[in-house]
Amino acid sequence: MRVGIAGVGFMGSTHAAAWAETEAQIVGFVAETVEEAQPIAQQYGARVFPDFASMLEAVDVVDICTPTHLHVPMILEAAARGKHIICEKPLALSVEDALEAVRVCRRAGVQLYVAHVVRFFPEYALAKQIIAQGQIGQVATLRLLRGSYRPKKPVGNWFLDETKSGGILMDLMIHDMDYARWVAGEVESVFARKVSAVHQGSPVDYGLVILKHRNGAISHVAGAWAYPPPTFRTRFELSGDRGMIEFDSQATSPIESLIIKPHAEAPDVGLPSSPVRESPYTTEIKEFYVALKEGKTPRVTAEDGLAAVQIAAAAVQSAQSGKVVYLESLGERLL
Amino acid sequence: MSIRIGIMSFAHLHAEAYIQNLRAIPGVEMIGLADDDPQRGEHFARLFGAHRFRSYEELLEARPDGVIICSENSRHLPLVKLAAEAGAHILCEKPLATTAQDAEAIVRTCRQAGVLLMTAFPMRFSTPLLEVKSRLDGGELGQVYCFNSSNQGELPKKHRAWFVDKALAGGGAIMDHTVHLVDIMRWYLGSEVTEVYAVANRIFHADEVEVETGGMVWVTFENGVFATIDCSWSRPPYWPSWGGLSFEMVTDRGAVWVDAFRQNLTVFTHALQRPYWAFWGSDPNQAMIEDFVQAIRAQRPPRVSGEDGLRAVEVVEAAYRSVESGQPVHLERRQV
Repeated sequence: MRVGIAGVGFMGSTHAAAWAETEAQIVGFVAETVEEAQPIAQQYGARVFPDFASMLEAVDVVDICTPTHLHVPMILEAAARGKHIICEKPLALSVEDALEAVRVCRRAGVQLYVAHVVRFFPEYALAKQIIAQGQIGQVATLRLLRGSYRPKKPVGNWFLDETKSGGILMDLMIHDMDYARWVAGEVESVFARKVSAVHQGSPVDYGLVILKHRNGAISHVAGAWAYPPPTFRTRFELSGDRGMIEFDSQATSPIESLIIKPHAEAPDVGLPSSPVRESPYTTEIKEFYVALKEGKTPRVTAEDGLAAVQIAAAAVQSAQSGKVVYLESLGERLL
Repeated sequence: MSIRIGIMSFAHLHAEAYIQNLRAIPGVEMIGLADDDPQRGEHFARLFGAHRFRSYEELLEARPDGVIICSENSRHLPLVKLAAEAGAHILCEKPLATTAQDAEAIVRTCRQAGVLLMTAFPMRFSTPLLEVKSRLDGGELGQVYCFNSSNQGELPKKHRAWFVDKALAGGGAIMDHTVHLVDIMRWYLGSEVTEVYAVANRIFHADEVEVETGGMVWVTFENGVFATIDCSWSRPPYWPSWGGLSFEMVTDRGAVWVDAFRQNLTVFTHALQRPYWAFWGSDPNQAMIEDFVQAIRAQRPPRVSGEDGLRAVEVVEAAYRSVESGQPVHLERRQV
């Protein structure tokens, strides 16, 4: 299996490290400029392609790790060439675009997997399993929090351009919206508000979302790009009629460093990092690899990616309008 | 001269704390209690070695300076009327009433009778919450954008059956656990709630109660600050405590996480076979009861007013309207 990776930022390099642990061959990379991609191509003994189209000719699978607004055009191009696709979350910035991506891939007969990596984090995967076993009964309320600082970028910070990233609701909080739907089922309505860059010198984005699920469960999702670097903190509390599950990344951190760092630096993007044997990103890519090789359905599909975009887009819409947004069923529009 | 206080009804379990708080204050005479349920009254009179008056009227004939009303939520108004007519100052358990109309009547009755009225919001006296308020007022925390807050608890039925009886309690989790956080935010912000959105369900204890047991309430203030309140009875009976009250306050400088009940020991015993939290922080009830007594002594307004109680009830009423309609509702404040 020949893989090409589009985008060499944090996610492109993380996925490359994960692909290196499979039997797939990393054929090459493509980035905005050839120079940008050279160091990582060298690291993996792979090529740098001058553009996406030429990479498509040399691969079976593309892994799209570019800024969000570029996902759908690249998916359409790859599908037209009959290539399977791994796409970083969010699948798209709008429901229309996400629908088109899923439809086109179905018609082209290519696989499309969306990298909602939270489903592969061991703490989230285990909680899902415990709930699926019925250990806490029927889930009634879910509280999910993901908090860090505003993503930085050396140049052109697309994360902070809402036309490119969708902002905090779409880029960060979609993780927990997808997880809430995975655990508690389809979403009926969404209500959301956020604050963002209220004044210069306040590097704070914060969003709150309440989801009502069709089965009556209620999810509360909070997302912060508001904490001091290098903070990255996640918490959840899943309560059912026969028990509950709590998690706090800080409380479960097995190491607390009190080492004095004279020049403390933080990575561009805050990351959760509890020491585990295999990176959740690697678990994810391995599962996608096996799915492509053996035709097994992975735990997150194109339709899941679409549903997550639908919820997040509803949150964006609700935050703008101040109204509750009710979700329509997309089933027929997928045909 | 000692301040003489009586307790009207032990329907609410907080009366069990307040009676001890009163006795811990020098210069306060706890004159006794009355209860319209004579068995309940007798039980607690015996338990606490207190005098039991045979009726509320008899208690009021003893001319207390103040009374603490701990009846069922929907029965606050008639007791307030009796006490106010007798000229007794009043500390009323929260929620002040089950409807905004009753809450307004309570505020008006006390004002017309010229007696002090305090709503029992002990969180205003919580030392961690006071510390945050002081840092906020000092400008250290910046300008508030929003709150992500929780006041979850266990099903209160095991303490008193009426807590889950809609006619007496006025509702379920939303009625029980929305008012504290609404009051804290009004206190912190100095702004009033203008819009309310709420969702509710009945999945926890579905086979035991008829009222909502899960709920999230969303409030927006006139100054633009917004907040979510998780008011669910989501804590299982084997949780290490009854529940808790915590919030994240997001400002233009970042965020502050606050837990009013984190000053605990975690205790493991053979007897209980599971850990429980033993609170070693300062008792907010004690400080609240002391403020009530000092307000009477100095004839000054207590640090929490009746209007504070009314405003919180208005939010609860709006939350139930939003649950019905599925949309946010605008809140019209009553003039008092």
